[in-house]
Amino acid sequence: MGMSLSVRAIVPVTITVTGFVVVCCLLLYQAIKQDMIQDTVSHETALAQTVVRSARYAMLKSDRETVQNIVATVGAQHDVEQVRIFNKRGVIMFSSHSGEISRQVDRNSEGCVGCHAGATPLAAMGSMQQARRYRNERGESVLAITAPIYNEPECFTAPCHVHPPTQKVLGTLDIGLSQKTLLATLSSLRSRMALFSLMILFLTVAGVSAILRRSLFLPVERLNSYALQLAAGHGETEPPELSDELESICRTLQELSEAGKEHNGKSPRS
Amino acid sequence: MKRLTGNSTLKPSAEAIHDAPLPETPEENELARREAAVRIKLFQRRSLRGIWQLTLFLGVSLAAQQGASHLPSFPPSMMQLLGAPPSPKMISGLLVLYSFSALILILGKMTTGSGGFSGFSHVGYLTVFYAFYQVSHALEENFYAVLAAGITILSLESYHVWIWHQERIRKEKQYIIRLDRMREWKRGG
Repeated sequence: MGMSLSVRAIVPVTITVTGFVVVCCLLLYQAIKQDMIQDTVSHETALAQTVVRSARYAMLKSDRETVQNIVATVGAQHDVEQVRIFNKRGVIMFSSHSGEISRQVDRNSEGCVGCHAGATPLAAMGSMQQARRYRNERGESVLAITAPIYNEPECFTAPCHVHPPTQKVLGTLDIGLSQKTLLATLSSLRSRMALFSLMILFLTVAGVSAILRRSLFLPVERLNSYALQLAAGHGETEPPELSDELESICRTLQELSEAGKEHNGKSPRS
Repeated sequence: MKRLTGNSTLKPSAEAIHDAPLPETPEENELARREAAVRIKLFQRRSLRGIWQLTLFLGVSLAAQQGASHLPSFPPSMMQLLGAPPSPKMISGLLVLYSFSALILILGKMTTGSGGFSGFSHVGYLTVFYAFYQVSHALEENFYAVLAAGITILSLESYHVWIWHQERIRKEKQYIIRLDRMREWKRGG
């Protein structure tokens, strides 16, 4: 069960440094990931507002072709997975994927249930609550948000198609961005953090080992070999150069060895 | 010299016995020898306490990982009574602070050679972290951080417990050797 001094010194340092660095890296990674997702959601919310504002005039004029054109143009952008606008009954009126126009969306689906869980649908939600994640048919992760299109005075006073003023929400814009870039960035961050942790671990263990070896293990080894020399009767052996504390032990050993020799010399049995 | 009788009075602080003069009579010598052997067994058993802590924590972690998605959330009335859960960032900050303090305390105990062990309290604290993350709906993301913190703290504690008891066992064995020498000397004398 004997363990060398070096193992006893290095094991606790290795456990402590490795464990603490791993815990901090895991928590830091989670914090950065959450911040990046929140940034993406904010970006998506801003993009949704841009689409709604761009299409506002066309919607007031009931210009469906222009609205569809705006939706298709935004949907064709890099990393934009889908853009669609539902009416209040959940029918897709405009979409970047023309095949799904006029399709009815299930109210219990992930993007809808947040507002439609109760008897009365919610009219407002926080940006993070509007967000949802899913995988597309190519298996890529998509972060989507649903932004309500609110009723405004111009909408219920417009001559062409009047909405009742009591209706709060006219429809919903659903926009989804591919998380491919975000996931690639997070993956690279993970690799860098793992590398950083390994480097810290290596430097700490190597540094502590080097210092301990230089200041403690080597002097103790020299002191041990000196003590063995004295025990073997080589009292003339020069004491090694050591630090003050160990030099004091050396002197004591030397004195003990000399006293032992004197005692043996005086002893009638010797 | 006061002699130890039975397990109830057996304490790891056997220094007083070792420092006291060795028993003179063969009966006392035999009794002291038997008591030292009992203490060795006790220390051997106690040196594994850290391993039991670590095993219990791994069991709790497994349950937390398996049950995170299956555990029912509190009813709304209970949630209202408890108030808003702490944010995951606050819990993470506390986890870093707790890990740092626990590691420093264990390293301090190792430096001073003190044998005061925290028992199973660390397993309790770490379980509370799992519970807080669960209430804040952030257990899935932060599970591995609590697991790593637990493994680190409990491994260091186990190592300290093991080393401390090995040291005591070594002293007891030396004490038995001294008792044997005394017995031989008395026989020879």
